[in-house]
Amino acid sequence: MTDPRNPLAALPAVDPSDAAALEARHQLIVGLLGAYADAELPAETVSQLDAHLVGCASCRRELAVHHAVRRRLAAEPPAAAEPALQRRIRAAIAAMPVPAPSPAPAIPGWRRHAVALAAGAVVVAALVAATFLATPELPWRRATEVHVALPVTPVGSDALLGDVLADYRRIAALDLPGRARDLDAVRAAVPFPVEPLRVPELRLLAAWTADIGGEPAAALAYRWDEHVVVQYLVAEARFFGSPTVRARVAAHGALAARQDGTELVAWPTASAGSLLVGDLPAARLATIWTAQRVAERGAGGAH
Amino acid sequence: MPQTADWPHPDAYARFDALVLPHLDRMLAFARRRTDSTADAEDVLQETCVRAWQGFAELRDQAQARAWLYRILRTVLVDAYEKLGRRRRLVSITRLEDAHEELVGGDADALFDEVVARLSSEAVHAALGELPEDFAAAVELHDIDGFKYHEIADILAIPIGTVMSRISRGRRLLAGAMTAHRPRTGELGTVSRVAGATGGRRPPRGRGGGAPR
Repeated sequence: MTDPRNPLAALPAVDPSDAAALEARHQLIVGLLGAYADAELPAETVSQLDAHLVGCASCRRELAVHHAVRRRLAAEPPAAAEPALQRRIRAAIAAMPVPAPSPAPAIPGWRRHAVALAAGAVVVAALVAATFLATPELPWRRATEVHVALPVTPVGSDALLGDVLADYRRIAALDLPGRARDLDAVRAAVPFPVEPLRVPELRLLAAWTADIGGEPAAALAYRWDEHVVVQYLVAEARFFGSPTVRARVAAHGALAARQDGTELVAWPTASAGSLLVGDLPAARLATIWTAQRVAERGAGGAH
Repeated sequence: MPQTADWPHPDAYARFDALVLPHLDRMLAFARRRTDSTADAEDVLQETCVRAWQGFAELRDQAQARAWLYRILRTVLVDAYEKLGRRRRLVSITRLEDAHEELVGGDADALFDEVVARLSSEAVHAALGELPEDFAAAVELHDIDGFKYHEIADILAIPIGTVMSRISRGRRLLAGAMTAHRPRTGELGTVSRVAGATGGRRPPRGRGGGAPR
C-alpha cells in the first residue's frame, strides 16, 4: 500500500517529453506542499520536492502562500478563559461524582488496592452525594452558578430549623444588627471557629451573635448580587442534635428546607454547623454550598 | 503515564486541573471561532470539561490529554450545531479557488505575505469562517493549536493522508478568502486585483455575511 505521505513513490519514472505526465506529477506535488511546509513528509519525498521546486516557479509561489498563511495563523492570540469561567468549570466538576473507570485488567495486588481505593472513592463520592447537575440544560446555561438539586424538606416541628428561620425573619425586618468589622467580637463570643464563606461572589456585610434555641450562634450576612443571605453557624452538637439534619446530611451531604417562602441550605463545617438562609430558592442557595467546597479544596491545595 | 487500577487517585481533581486548565485558552478560542458569542463558547467549554471529567478515568495516556480534550470539544461543538441549528456560512469554494489561482498565477506572493501579516484577527476569523468546517478544523488544529498531523488524524478520526490533503487545500482556500478580507488601503496592487475577483470583503460569519454556496 502506498504511504500517503509519499505518493510520488508510486509514480513511474516520467518522460521529460510527456507533458501530460509532467502535469500529473506537478499536480501531485502541489497537493504535498502543505505537508512539505509543515515538515511532515519523509526525507525521500522532501528530496523529490526540493528538486521539483528548483524548476517550478508556480510551486514556489504556492509554497510561499502556505508559509504566509501558516505564519499568520500561528500569530493568532488565544482567547482568555476568565477566572470566573474557570471557577464555573471547577464548580461544575465538583458537583459531579468522581468518575469510575471501566473494569481494568487484573494485576497482582489489584484486589487488595482496589478495596482501599474503593473506600476512598466512597468518601469522595459522599462529599458530592445528592448533588447533581441539571444536565439537560447544562450546556447552554448562562448563570455562573452550578445549580444543584437537593430534596427540600418541610421544616415541620424541627426546633433548629424553626429557630433559625424565625430569627432570620425577625432580623429581615430590621437593620442588620452588626457590621463586618464585628467579626472578631463574634468569634470571641461563640465556642467554635467562625470563618466567613470564601465564595468570591459573596461579600461579608455584617456579623453578629444570635440566640438560637437558647444557645449562642454566629450570624454572618453577605451580599450576593442583589440579594442578602444570612449564614448561621451553630455548635456541632446543636446541629447534629436535629434528627432531620442528621438524616438529610447522612443521605445527601446537605439539607434543604423551606417555610413560608424562606428557604435554607444546611451543611456541616469542620467543627460546626452552617445554615444559609435567604429569600431565594434552595437550589440557588445550594450553589453557594457547592462553590464553598470548591474554594475550600482550592485553599487546601488539592484543587 | 498510563492509568490503571490506581484510580481514583486521591488528587484526581489536581491532576485534572493540571491536564486541562493549561489548554482552556486555546480551546476557548477554537470554540469561539465556531460559535456566535463568547457566552456560547464558554458554555461549550464548560460542557467539554464536564464530559472530560466524566471520562477522565478512561484517559490512559496523559501525554495525549490535549488531543483527547480537543476530540471531546469537537463532539460538543457538533452537538451544539445540532442543538442550536448553527451552520457556518460558506462562500463558494470555486470562488476561493479562483482567487487562490490568481494569487499564485502572478507575482503577488511577496505582497500576499505582507497583506496576510497585516490582517486583523477579525479578518482572519471571518476568512476561516468561509471555509468548510472540515478544512478549517484541520488548518486551525495545525497552524493555530500546534498539533502534528498524526494528532489531527486522531482528533478528527480521519486517515493521515486526508489530514494532509485537507490542510493543503484548506490553506489554499484560506489564502483566497484572506485576499477578500485584506485591509482597504488602496496600495495593494496585484492582491487588490485578486480580491476583486472574489467579490471583495465580506462581513464576518454569523452576522449575515457570506454568499451562499
